[in-house]
Amino acid sequence: MESHRDPLCDINRTSRRLVIFHLLWPRRTSVDALGLAYMNEEIMSESWRQHRKHVFVLSEAGKPIYSRYGNEEALSSTMGVMMALVSFVQAGGNMIQSIFSDEHTVVFLQKGPLVFVSVSATRQSEQQLRRELLHVYHQIVSMLTQASINRIFERRKNFDLRRLLFGSEKVLDGLLDVMDSDPSFMLSAVQCLPLPSSSRDALSHILQKAITPDLVFSFLIANNRLVSVVQEKTVLEDARLKPSDLHLLFNLIRASAFQAGEIWMPICLPLFNHDCYFYAYVAYLDPPECTVCLVLLSTDKEAFYAVAECKRKIEEAFASQNALQWVANTQLYYVDDISVANLRHFLYKPSKVLDHHRHPEMEVGYRSQEERIRLLDPYRNMHNRIHSTSRPLKLIYHSAGKETLLAWVTSKFEMFACFTPLVTKKSAISELTKLLRWIKKEEDRLFICHLPKYSTAPQPGRSSTDRGSSARPNTSDTGLLSLL
Amino acid sequence: MLMISPRMASGMQEKQYTPSLLSFFIYNPKFGPREGEEEKKILFYHPIEIEKNEKIRNVGLCEAIVQFTRTFSPTNPAKSLHTQKNRQFFHEAEENYWMVMVVRNPMVEKPNKDGKPPTVEYQEEEIIDSVYGSVLQQCYCMYKLFNGTFSRAFEAGGVELLTQKLEKFFYRYLQTLHLQSCDLLDVFGGISFFPLDKMTYLKIQSFVNRVEESLSLVKYTAFLYNDQLIWSGLEQDDMRILYKYLTTSLFPRHSEPELAGRDSPLRPEVAGNLLHYGRFLTGPANLKDPDAKFRFPRIFVNTEDSYEELHLIVYKVRERVNVMDLNREFCEQLDSLVGPQLTLLASDICEQFNINRRISGPEKEPQFKFIYFNHMNLAEKSTIHMRKTASVSLTSVHPDLMKILGDINCDFARVNEDEEIIVKAMTDYWVVGKKSDQRELYVILNQKNANLIEVNEEVKRLCATQFNNIFFLD
Repeated sequence: MESHRDPLCDINRTSRRLVIFHLLWPRRTSVDALGLAYMNEEIMSESWRQHRKHVFVLSEAGKPIYSRYGNEEALSSTMGVMMALVSFVQAGGNMIQSIFSDEHTVVFLQKGPLVFVSVSATRQSEQQLRRELLHVYHQIVSMLTQASINRIFERRKNFDLRRLLFGSEKVLDGLLDVMDSDPSFMLSAVQCLPLPSSSRDALSHILQKAITPDLVFSFLIANNRLVSVVQEKTVLEDARLKPSDLHLLFNLIRASAFQAGEIWMPICLPLFNHDCYFYAYVAYLDPPECTVCLVLLSTDKEAFYAVAECKRKIEEAFASQNALQWVANTQLYYVDDISVANLRHFLYKPSKVLDHHRHPEMEVGYRSQEERIRLLDPYRNMHNRIHSTSRPLKLIYHSAGKETLLAWVTSKFEMFACFTPLVTKKSAISELTKLLRWIKKEEDRLFICHLPKYSTAPQPGRSSTDRGSSARPNTSDTGLLSLL
Repeated sequence: MLMISPRMASGMQEKQYTPSLLSFFIYNPKFGPREGEEEKKILFYHPIEIEKNEKIRNVGLCEAIVQFTRTFSPTNPAKSLHTQKNRQFFHEAEENYWMVMVVRNPMVEKPNKDGKPPTVEYQEEEIIDSVYGSVLQQCYCMYKLFNGTFSRAFEAGGVELLTQKLEKFFYRYLQTLHLQSCDLLDVFGGISFFPLDKMTYLKIQSFVNRVEESLSLVKYTAFLYNDQLIWSGLEQDDMRILYKYLTTSLFPRHSEPELAGRDSPLRPEVAGNLLHYGRFLTGPANLKDPDAKFRFPRIFVNTEDSYEELHLIVYKVRERVNVMDLNREFCEQLDSLVGPQLTLLASDICEQFNINRRISGPEKEPQFKFIYFNHMNLAEKSTIHMRKTASVSLTSVHPDLMKILGDINCDFARVNEDEEIIVKAMTDYWVVGKKSDQRELYVILNQKNANLIEVNEEVKRLCATQFNNIFFLD
């Protein structure tokens, strides 16, 4: 890994180890296939047990790689048991998937030589928990690439992957934390910054102008919301950029926790191409607030200076047009603005083609982190029911003690809404209709409707892939193409 | 069980396999704690042909899983294990006595061209944990009804007696499990009550009192009409399992002669007593025959502090059944006392039955399709199930809708509040679930173009007619 990693990470890591526990192992004279399972005298601390969601990563050989809570080395016996369960079921020509108890759900996922286990008290469905484990796998791939992981374990089954992931635990910690609090993962979408389309177009134009050979993507992000994306023309023919990859990218940037200056780091986008690296140039355009972030992805490892030059050009253009102000001035909508008295919160995602969603800031009642997480639980439950593979639904209306919830999937959109508990069905429907009308009206401002493209400077015959012959950024085929 | 669904387009047939029982076993880890003693843990294992080492391994896996989940929650260990091909349900029936049921996941076998083996697709979502978990628990309750608890058998005769009893009971009982037709009603394990007017109800009450008074050996009485309960003196949990036994096992066995009409040659010879229509369903088939041997099945009834072993006497007059428990035989006395009076009562009840029928309308197409259950008195009512016997449960709605009901029931079980869940399924059916104060009501509406408000109105109408004294959330 590049030496730009946060030098404080070691200290961070040790300071997280607040949980103290000890394990006792029974003496065994011989070991049968499930010898490790007979651990009646094991003692774990109460606080460790109480965590809402544990995530463990281990190798096929049973070697610990990561544990969200607690020292993974000390948990090696527990991980050994997990691996034993996986192998035992596998030996019978079957595949272990999950274990359910009253309080917990344990979900297993095996990807290549890595095994992922989630022990969760959140009451999410098995599919949702497995998808989260897949994100964890992809985050690891984003740091190492799938090809190298497979190659390493092929050569040495006993390899300790922690050697390569040294210092990256907080990336995984950060991913798990954000998955528990951000509905973007549930919806498989990326949140956009609401911006008048003229402003957004102007920003995109600036990005499109500042290009260099081998530059593939340019992103502008503000406060964890996407402002603008432009991409190289021919990229679309090869593969697609999925929201999941963007989440991983954002998470890596967040975890590197740098402020001033710039970063040049390798990153693999697993859903795009899981075997090779992009090189990401990341810089904040507004130190010291550091809310507006520029990310430029290149396929050329040596292109740092060329890409840094692009950043300088962008900065200049922004300064001359005072572009940063547009981003800073953007209003995040509050539900109040739409005059729907009983509506407390909603999530809206236009379906299929547009893979973005937005949600307004929540009302006072739900400002705290606990409340937000709490609301995410029923949303996720409804999402699971409505998208069930065997018995999907079109609509769910759930009146409960604390609030009334609604989930609705049509061919055009998917939405989740939360009303006050005593709302009548009539009011809920009418407010919903008002909301939908408002969203339709504001669609341009709320979502990124098209993905502007550019081509890098053409050199006929220079490279085997045709980078396009026109120097003009090609915006004619706008359509409704997006990050999917 | 295998169901074939023809696929029109390809002309090839897709085979649908419903869930089925793969294995069922009972073990106690305390019986074989040391290495080399694992076999001693296994108290019962079906199918019996499985090789010994494999049995040990399967039991070992269950133990490992239970122990593993105890790592995170010592008091709430695993209830089920999901694998790709099957699902295992765990139930600690008594302390350290574990029962495990392994169900094969429903699957679809799609034929492949060119002689390749067919691809199998497992449909894990089709099995709802709460349904099969309840079926497993019921297995234990049924065993307990006829044999008492495991620990009691162990105390009385050690492991040998216990394994004998388990073998004898489960060998037969497992054959009666029809896993492909289990649904929400198995979760409830409710009792269907017969609504009666006050007068008739009081007559029955006084009759029961007279019986219990004059025949001192009678401890508890339950009165049923046509598979529906009118009165029971037993504890709720005992009555619940006894009811299941009666309606799914005993009554169907004896119902054929009754259904054959009066003048039909199939009607068995009921010698002698022409004063009434009563006969014993358990016990002597023919009272007049002095040599006929008979036995009453013994059942075990648990009250809070005591533990009673009683004989079950089921005495039936036409469709009326009187269930009595006592601890010695005295059938003729019973017969002469109960028979005539019951016959008289019978006609009263029959009249009431006809009145009820007129009110609720013809049974062919009930106006509303609903299921109602009251946790407090275990009363259940379903207009969706047309005939529920041990072997088949015919529902008039698509199985997917029943599974949606199961999902809503699981959602209700998460919190202890009054709630309402309305969903619109992909087929445009509306399903409404209401939970209020220990009562649950599920309604299925086939109104494709209705919207939420209209559906709400429909359900309100249903509640007004059938449940007007119960408050459900609006």
